[in-house]
Amino acid sequence: MEIVIALFFSTLRQAAPLLLTSLGGLFSERSGVVNIALEGMILFGAAAAAITVNRIEVATGGLEAFWIPWVGLLAGATVGGLVGLVHAIASIKYRADQIVSGTAINIAALGAPSIVLQVLYNNTSTSQEVQNRLPNVDLGPSSVSILVIFAFLLVPVVWWVLFKTPWGLRLRAVGEHPEAAETMGVNVIRMRYTAVILSGVLAGIAGAYLSIGFLNQFIRAMSAGAGFIALAALIFGKWHPFGVLGATLLFGFAQALAIQLQGGDILPATIVQALPFILTMLVLAGFIGRSRPPAAVGKPYDK
Amino acid sequence: MSRYWFLMVGGLVLLIMILAPWAVPLREFDGTGYLLNPLGVMNPKGLTLPQGLTFNWLGVAFGLWILLLLAASAALFVPNAETRARVLYILGGVGIAIFAIEALLFYQAISAVNDAAVAAGARRPPLRRFALSLGIYAGFFYSLGLLLLARMQLPGGLAFLVRFRGVVVPIVSLLLAVVLGAVVVAILRPGLGTQGVEGLGLRELIAGKLDLVTYTFQILFSPILNVTGIFTSLGFATPLIFTGLAVAFGFRAGMFNIGAPGQLTMGALFAMLVGVYLPLPGWLLLPAAIAAAALGGALWGGIVGWLKARFGANEVINTIMMNYIAASVLLFMIAANEYRFFGQTVRLPFKAEGFEGRSEEMQEGARIPLMINIIAPNGTFSWALPLAVIASLGVYYALRRLELGRRLLFSLGALVLGFVVGGFLPGFPVTISSALASQLLNGSFLIAILALLFYNFYLFRTSAGYELRATGLAPKAAEYAGVNLRRKMILAMVISGALAGLAATHYVLGAGMDGTYRLKTAIPSSVGFDGIAVALMGQNMPLGIFLSATLFGVLLAGGVSLNAQLGISNQIIQVLQALIILFIAVGGLLPRYFTDPLRAAQIETEARAEQETRQAKSAPAAGD
Repeated sequence: MEIVIALFFSTLRQAAPLLLTSLGGLFSERSGVVNIALEGMILFGAAAAAITVNRIEVATGGLEAFWIPWVGLLAGATVGGLVGLVHAIASIKYRADQIVSGTAINIAALGAPSIVLQVLYNNTSTSQEVQNRLPNVDLGPSSVSILVIFAFLLVPVVWWVLFKTPWGLRLRAVGEHPEAAETMGVNVIRMRYTAVILSGVLAGIAGAYLSIGFLNQFIRAMSAGAGFIALAALIFGKWHPFGVLGATLLFGFAQALAIQLQGGDILPATIVQALPFILTMLVLAGFIGRSRPPAAVGKPYDK
Repeated sequence: MSRYWFLMVGGLVLLIMILAPWAVPLREFDGTGYLLNPLGVMNPKGLTLPQGLTFNWLGVAFGLWILLLLAASAALFVPNAETRARVLYILGGVGIAIFAIEALLFYQAISAVNDAAVAAGARRPPLRRFALSLGIYAGFFYSLGLLLLARMQLPGGLAFLVRFRGVVVPIVSLLLAVVLGAVVVAILRPGLGTQGVEGLGLRELIAGKLDLVTYTFQILFSPILNVTGIFTSLGFATPLIFTGLAVAFGFRAGMFNIGAPGQLTMGALFAMLVGVYLPLPGWLLLPAAIAAAALGGALWGGIVGWLKARFGANEVINTIMMNYIAASVLLFMIAANEYRFFGQTVRLPFKAEGFEGRSEEMQEGARIPLMINIIAPNGTFSWALPLAVIASLGVYYALRRLELGRRLLFSLGALVLGFVVGGFLPGFPVTISSALASQLLNGSFLIAILALLFYNFYLFRTSAGYELRATGLAPKAAEYAGVNLRRKMILAMVISGALAGLAATHYVLGAGMDGTYRLKTAIPSSVGFDGIAVALMGQNMPLGIFLSATLFGVLLAGGVSLNAQLGISNQIIQVLQALIILFIAVGGLLPRYFTDPLRAAQIETEARAEQETRQAKSAPAAGD
């Protein structure tokens, strides 16, 4: 029983960043912009959050205050949004290949934080540990970061925004048939900019969760494929908020299982760690249900 | 409009000339320098130059540049286009001449002092790390700009640029990336020699920053200046050529292969299995190990191709997933010896003794020799390689009348014959410095060249390659013409994966990682991602891929000393790569007729039509 409870909470913790990122990707892809850069946005957000918190601590001489991690979260979200803006400008204004542009951001996310770390901490792979982490919420047997709660509460909100508001209808229209949406008076360009920046903000928050919520420092490439798994969850969840919730819970469970099995004698951890990726490929091949992307996804919009 | 842009550029060049160092005759290891500028020396750390070394001619040069800038600005307003072009050509030529004289004077003065000191018995030359700097480079690039601008004044100028868009877009993207990279460096690090010095003026601070960014890129590009550096660079470039080819091959067939890291890993694993364990005679072992590397990559790529052909599964996501799976497989194989499956212990023999995750050593016969040992085994220059190249090229160009397949076959025969015969010819002894002997550039570089040739001939000279390119450009049209799209998809991913897998020959069979003939868990599989930058920068052309891989190889080699001297992480190269990819993706921020083939064709057609009407007009006049 104890193991089941531990596994349950571990699943929540592992699923939260995937869920946040995936819901962000949902906006972007529903508006018709492929966002393979989610992985990079998480890393940029994580680095920004940890470094901001650490700099505040250094400047104030190790102050511990409730507002410090929230400033870090804001920094992570902002930097994520700015990276989203770069992807948006490239893929919307300049009609770049969205996968190429996203790949560029992912590669930059491996190198750019290291340059800053080298200057600040004289090493290229980790930041200093931070004292002020995002608060935890006590849930009886265990506690989880407040961002975990936020991630799960976000699911119905995103569903309501996408399917029950005029804005959501317009967003979906832009991703399915931009020309038709434009003739109905929807500003396709602005919708897409908003959606991609929003996806960057949410991925940045996921990054902040990793570096100042789940852990207490930034580590190079700490997302370890979370952005790509989130992308897979999007496909698995058929571009629907509740589908995404189910998919991220499944992937989160696989990761939690891998951690639980570490050092045990059931399956080697290296094999369990590969499971989410194998599962994704099976889904993509259509062995576990077909899923259809928004019709205009990946296509640059030309007036 | 563009005229005023160029006036602004002229103003910017003048500003750089006023603020930036023109040349640095002496620089310490940490980058602190003695900065020369026509308006006065900047030397915050108080370095001293040897007696009698003066650079008074800098003032004269500055005067000349001001005159040139004024003349060029005035020339922009000459009404007649042809006169304008002629004047600009002359001014550009004059500018380059001034630059050449400046360089000559500077290096002559330096070497005179150094030679004299060494002749007088100094242990090392008094002037070190000397180089021209931004102020003089600015004039040089401005002159090049003038030449280009002159061409633009003549009819068909724009069409000229558009025709060479395959070169223009990568170069503009590279320049933009360099500028942005420079800004990043300037923000992150204090200017050279200005840290901890009190009472510096704004001018010194700006000069320090400009010196910093100039020196950063000087270090990055410095490996091309000596043989050892070139060897290091080509060593870094070898795996990039393979992965660049892999990504480019995918692009040509309309597939985005982000899976080169995984394919490389599997190639390495296969090569290791054959190289360590397969009991084959020596002459067969190495070819088998190389083939195994290709096979491992082909398998990993082929799975993705098959999934796409059979189920329509997107190759982008799948190749990414396969990267992570390959990483897991690698760890599983060589990170530990013992695993527990459902309570049972399973032993794997692959990991060698020790703390590090690594395989056993390759058998002797499976090792690719170092390049230096191919060129000059035991310190004696060997004719094998030069003769092989000359013979095969000679045969290829002599047999022009034969069909391509036979021509290539005979060339290959000549290559082998040349290598064998050249090996028996008496060579001459050469001295190899210990630095050169320790370079990790190995024979897999030659395999990379062969892979480039394969790419060139297969894609551009065979009907199968033509079908593959047609599939990439217009799948529906290709299918209508009878191409089996599904088979092409699988084939493209198989070959692309094989090319990526061959990159493992450098790391595992050639000991290109750290000089040991083993597979290690630390194998830098992320060069697979760097291949994307190589392919985009090289515009998927064979020569372009070679040049861009070499460029990145040079930068990576330079990054090592950048880290040592200035404490800037060599990850800056990764960022530069990312920026280059991004800028190429947005077409170098150039107008759309540089990226859209239809619009480019329109510009070229218009220029041609204009030229024809011009000729039609002038023809009767000539006849009168």
